[in-house]
Amino acid sequence: MLRFDRVFRDGGGFDTLLVMLALGYLVVFSAFPLIYNVVMSFQEVDLFSLASFDRPFVGWDNYSEVMGERVFTPIFWNTVQFVGLSVFFQLTIGFGLALFFQQDFPGATWLRGLFLAGWILPGLVVGAVWGWILAGDFGVLNYVLQSLGLIEGKIFWLSDPSVSLYSGIIANIWLGIPFNMILLSVGLAAIPADVYEAAELDGASRLHRFLTITLPLMRAQLGAVISLGVIFTLQQFDLFAALTRGGPSNASNVLQYWAWQLSFEEYRIGQGSVVSVLMILFVVIVAFVYVRSTRNEHAG
Amino acid sequence: MLAKNLWTRWVLLAVALVMVGFYLFPVYWMYITALKTNTETFQNPPTFWPHDPQFRFAEVWVKYGLDSYIKNSAIIAAGTVALVVILGTGCAYALARVRSVWMDLVLFTVLMMQVLPSSLMITPIFVAYNQVGMMDWPRTGVVLAQAAKVLPLYIVLVRAAFTQIPKELEEAALVDGNSRMGAFLFIAVPLARNGIMVTAILIFMQSLGEYVYARSLITDRALQPATVGLQFLTGPNASDWSGIMTYSAIYVTPILILFVALQRKIVSGLTSGALK
Repeated sequence: MLRFDRVFRDGGGFDTLLVMLALGYLVVFSAFPLIYNVVMSFQEVDLFSLASFDRPFVGWDNYSEVMGERVFTPIFWNTVQFVGLSVFFQLTIGFGLALFFQQDFPGATWLRGLFLAGWILPGLVVGAVWGWILAGDFGVLNYVLQSLGLIEGKIFWLSDPSVSLYSGIIANIWLGIPFNMILLSVGLAAIPADVYEAAELDGASRLHRFLTITLPLMRAQLGAVISLGVIFTLQQFDLFAALTRGGPSNASNVLQYWAWQLSFEEYRIGQGSVVSVLMILFVVIVAFVYVRSTRNEHAG
Repeated sequence: MLAKNLWTRWVLLAVALVMVGFYLFPVYWMYITALKTNTETFQNPPTFWPHDPQFRFAEVWVKYGLDSYIKNSAIIAAGTVALVVILGTGCAYALARVRSVWMDLVLFTVLMMQVLPSSLMITPIFVAYNQVGMMDWPRTGVVLAQAAKVLPLYIVLVRAAFTQIPKELEEAALVDGNSRMGAFLFIAVPLARNGIMVTAILIFMQSLGEYVYARSLITDRALQPATVGLQFLTGPNASDWSGIMTYSAIYVTPILILFVALQRKIVSGLTSGALK
């Protein structure tokens, strides 16, 4: 008893209480849904059995049904393309901007911060604005591209099945650039200036310095930014809701939007859960790698 | 870096301004379109400056029922922030102060919870809400779910703020006979208030833009937030673009003003916590 008392007075108990408050909440509203999702993916859940506590288990039926969908493969590859292209361009453009704003000129920090305005806007608004820019007949992008002589006819970014996925990718790249840039700026600022000065005295060129100093020293940072990019890109839902709603006929659909459609438009909730489970599994693996790598870096 | 002469510095500034302008073009286009008349909106070639600026804000506000949408967005965001601050501040503090295997594990769990996509969590939340009768209070349901979504980010960022406060101040308070609770509430929290405020504002702005939960849980139009209202207007068949852009402008202007005013603090708060 004495020991218990001491623990509480000296702080262990107090800290535990504070942590449990938040952790308890997360268990109820995050961990429980996570597990419940897995359970539902093995059940038959539709509009009628929604509120029931006694739903039939169907084994792997939902899984085989989802995998057997004709649209599963195209939507899967759309998702791969969406993530791959988004992350690649967010990273390269963000890295380029971070390097540029690393230079010493008046207002550099403040101007760099302005980029985050894009990140702070609600996804729905970003989607709406890009929808207007990309609009087929009166969109400003088509006008600019035509004036520059880059395209002949108009591109119907939102309604042409061969390009509609790119409307989401373009808007998502725009949305992700600031975050990539800011995080990479932090990494660049941490590289000591004298390393560069020494290399410059040795006669290393700008490109050589970038390849032999910046890139290797930024490796951990780049890894973290790429994992975060993948995670955020897989969270992207609002842009699809505002731009194409997955259409036309799933041409621009991705797994995270399809999962929602299955549950909330077709009421095939068991199957919606299957897609969610698979996606969450993937996200958690990426997050695990990310958290592990930043923890190690921090300790080392 | 070597000292640069004045001339290069100004050239770099000019290039930077062009890049910022280029990047923020969509924001500019939103405002410009909002000011155009309907005929000018669909003019070809498009005008990059409105010939006859119209302030249709009041008209759009009434036409699309923005008062109820904006009010609901504000309620959801305020509720989320209140809940997150109450639940998360103590946890962030404990995580900043105590170093143990258990706390590392908690931090790890919190970081993992941060990445769960709303669009995938909504299915189980929706079904569970139906089972326990939570669908009768859909706005509260959205607040509860959104709080769980943003709580980890809040904890991570506020924890970074607490780690910057010297421990000695609290220890002195404890010696003076303060309780742990007193030292936390009256010493640590006031010292970390900047970090807490900025993070709370960040959470507020993020929750103002919440869409997935509101769209899936709230069916009554009178309770829906501005994102859901906007979504009804957009899509491949949208037509009233000038109205949509006016709607967007009304909705995001307060967010943008708040952001520009607090820009420096938001950026430093974000970078201090994001990679630790």
